[in-house]
Amino acid sequence: MAPLQVYAAGIYPRSEALVQATRDLDRGRTTAEDVAKQRQADAQALVAAQEQAGLDLLTDGLLDWQDLFRPLAERSDGLTARPLTRFLDTNTFYRALLVEGAPRLGDPIPAPDLPAGRWLATLPAPSALARAARGAASPQAFAADVLAPQIEADAQAGCARVVLVDPFLAREGGVGEAIASLHELPERVPLALHLPFGDASGVLDALAHAPVSAVGVDFYATSLEAVPDGYPKELAAGVVDVRSSALEDPDELAAFAETLLERNSAGVALTVNGDLQFVPEPVAREKVVRLGRARALLAEGVTA
Amino acid sequence: MSVTFTTREIGSLGKPSWRVKAFAGRPIEEADVKEAERWGRRLEVDGHEELVEALGNGGLPLTEIDDWASRYAIRLLEQAGLDVVYDGEQKRTEMYDHVAAFAHGFEPRGTVRSFDNKYYAKAAVVERPTADGPQDVDELRFVAAHTQKQVKVPLTGAYTMEDWSYDEHYAREGALGGSAERRFEARRQFVEDVAERVIRPNVVGLVKAGADWIQIDEPAAATKPDEVPLVVHGFNTALRDVGAAKRSMHICFSDYRALWPAVLELDDCLELQLEFANRDSRELGTRAEDRPGYAGTLLLFAEHGYPGVGLGVLDIHSDFVEPAELVRDRILFAVDALGGPDRIQVNPDCGLRTRSWDVVYEKLSNMVAGARMAEDVLNKSHAGAG
Repeated sequence: MAPLQVYAAGIYPRSEALVQATRDLDRGRTTAEDVAKQRQADAQALVAAQEQAGLDLLTDGLLDWQDLFRPLAERSDGLTARPLTRFLDTNTFYRALLVEGAPRLGDPIPAPDLPAGRWLATLPAPSALARAARGAASPQAFAADVLAPQIEADAQAGCARVVLVDPFLAREGGVGEAIASLHELPERVPLALHLPFGDASGVLDALAHAPVSAVGVDFYATSLEAVPDGYPKELAAGVVDVRSSALEDPDELAAFAETLLERNSAGVALTVNGDLQFVPEPVAREKVVRLGRARALLAEGVTA
Repeated sequence: MSVTFTTREIGSLGKPSWRVKAFAGRPIEEADVKEAERWGRRLEVDGHEELVEALGNGGLPLTEIDDWASRYAIRLLEQAGLDVVYDGEQKRTEMYDHVAAFAHGFEPRGTVRSFDNKYYAKAAVVERPTADGPQDVDELRFVAAHTQKQVKVPLTGAYTMEDWSYDEHYAREGALGGSAERRFEARRQFVEDVAERVIRPNVVGLVKAGADWIQIDEPAAATKPDEVPLVVHGFNTALRDVGAAKRSMHICFSDYRALWPAVLELDDCLELQLEFANRDSRELGTRAEDRPGYAGTLLLFAEHGYPGVGLGVLDIHSDFVEPAELVRDRILFAVDALGGPDRIQVNPDCGLRTRSWDVVYEKLSNMVAGARMAEDVLNKSHAGAG
C-alpha cells in the first residue's frame, strides 16, 4: 500500500484570546508585543495539538497571515494589497493585489520554528496570485520572481512539502496557464496543488501531467466518482470540511481514504479542504484530532 | 404628472455610544451624555432631556435605552428628509444574529474572521428551523408609533441565513464525496424551511400589524450564481399570500450579472435595491463614461424590464459626503439608462452602520437634496417639452 501522509495546511483560526487581543490592538487598548505573545502561545498550542493528534506534517497555523496573498505581497516589490474583495462564497474577504511594477520577492517569509523535514509550507499558487491581481501580472511572472525564491528558501530551511493553494482554478478554469507557470518553480521540495472549495472534476485530467507531486481535491465539492481510476498523481484528499462546524467521523474518513487508496496507486494524503480559519478555533482543534484518529485507524488497518 | 423619487434608507445605522456601553455593561461617561444631548437637540427628539438626565444619573433599564436609541434613529432619518424610514435596526444585534438567536434550530458556534482583525459570530443549523411567532411586530409598532412617515421593515432573507450558517442538519449525511445534486438539495431544503417556518410567520405578523413595505435583505444572493433561483424561491415562499404590502429585495457588493434571468421570477417585487456608488466615480456627469458604477448594471435592468431599481447613490464604506449634485447626476444617468424615471427610487448603497451619525446625517441630507434637484431638472425639462 502507498504511504499516507496526514496534515492540515492553510491558515488556522485564532483563539478567542487572540481575537480579543487583535480587537484591542485596533482600538488602542493593547500593544503589538502583547498580541505577538498571544499569537506565539496560539502557535505553540496548535503544534502540540497536531503532534498529539499524530499528524505527519506540522504547521504553525500562519496566525499572522491576514489572507492568503498578503504576506508575499508585503514582501515583494511592485505589489500592494488594497481593495477589499469578497473571497468566493465564504462571507469573508481578502485584499486584492495592485501591480505597480514587476512583482519581485524581496526577503522571503521566514521559516517557522518547526523541526526540519517535518514542516509544511502553504503558499498561493502562481495562478491564484495572478487572479488576486486581476490578471495585471502573469502566473509565470509570479512563479518565477515571487514564488520560486520563496520555495527555495523554504527548501533550504527544511520544508517537507509546499502546498500551493488555488481557490479559483476549479471554478473559473485557466488550467493550461496554471500548469505552465508551475514549470517555473524549483523541484527541491515536493509540491502539492490544492484546489479548495471547487469541483475539481473538470481539471483533474489536465493536472495529471502537472509538475507537482500531489493534487489536492475538496471532496465536499467534488464527487468521489469524478476521480479517474489509476490517477497518476497522489491525491491530497480534502476530507475535513473547513466550512462546516459538523465534526467528521474518523471511521468515515478512514473508510473514504481506503476507497481512494484502492483506486489510486500513486498515493493518498488526508487533509483539510481549505483553511481551518473558516470555523471557530475550538471546532478546528477537534477537527485536527479527528483527522489524526482517521490516520490511526488506517494505520491499524494496514498492520492488521 | 410631475416626477418624484422616494428616498429611504436601507437598514442599519451605527448605535450611539451610550447604547453600546449600556449593553456592554460599561460605564456611561460624560462624553456619552453630551452626545445624547447634542443629538437630542439637533434632531429635536421629543423629551430627550429625560434621557440625558437619566444617563447622567447612572442610566436606565436596557429596554428603555433601546427605545431611546430607536427614537433618536427615527428622528435622524426624518430630519434628514427621507420619505420612508425605520429605526436603523437599533434594537437588533446585527442582521444574521438577530434571526439566528430568535429562531429555534440554530446554535452559536463561535467567532470567525471576516477580514484583517474583523470578526463575526456564526451559528449552525442543528434541526429544522422554526419560530414561535412573528419576531419584529413589537419593533414595527414602536416605529409606527413614533413617526408619521411611511415605514419599510428590513428582514434578513432565507438564502442569506442559509449561506451564512454552518449546516449540521441538512447536509450532515453523505456530504463527503457526495454529488452536486445532493448538496444543492440540502441547501434548497434549508432555504425553504427558513423562509416558510421563520420568515413567513414574521411577515404575516408584520402585515397584520400594518407594515406598508417588507424589504428582504439578501447580501449573499449572487455569491453562487447557480443558486440565484434559491434566493428567488426563498423570497416567494416568505411573502406568499401576505396581502398588499409592498415587497422589495436588497443585495450588495456582488456581481449582479448572476441575478438575471432568475429574478424575473420574483413575485410582485417592487424593486431590487442595489449598491452602485461604491463602484462609481466621484466626478460629476451624466454620460456612461462618467458613471462607471451604474452603466453595466442598469443595462441589465433595461434589457430585462423587471423589477424596478432602488438606486444606491451613497457609498456606505466611505466618509466622503456625496455632494447633492453628484447624487443628482447619478439619478439623471439612471433615468436616461432606463428610458424614464418610473422604475427608479433612491437610497444609500446599504446600511450605514459603519459611519458616524455626523457623516450619515450629511450624506442622507445630500441624498434627499440631490433627489429633489433631479426631480427639478426632469420636471422643468418635461414642462419645456410640453
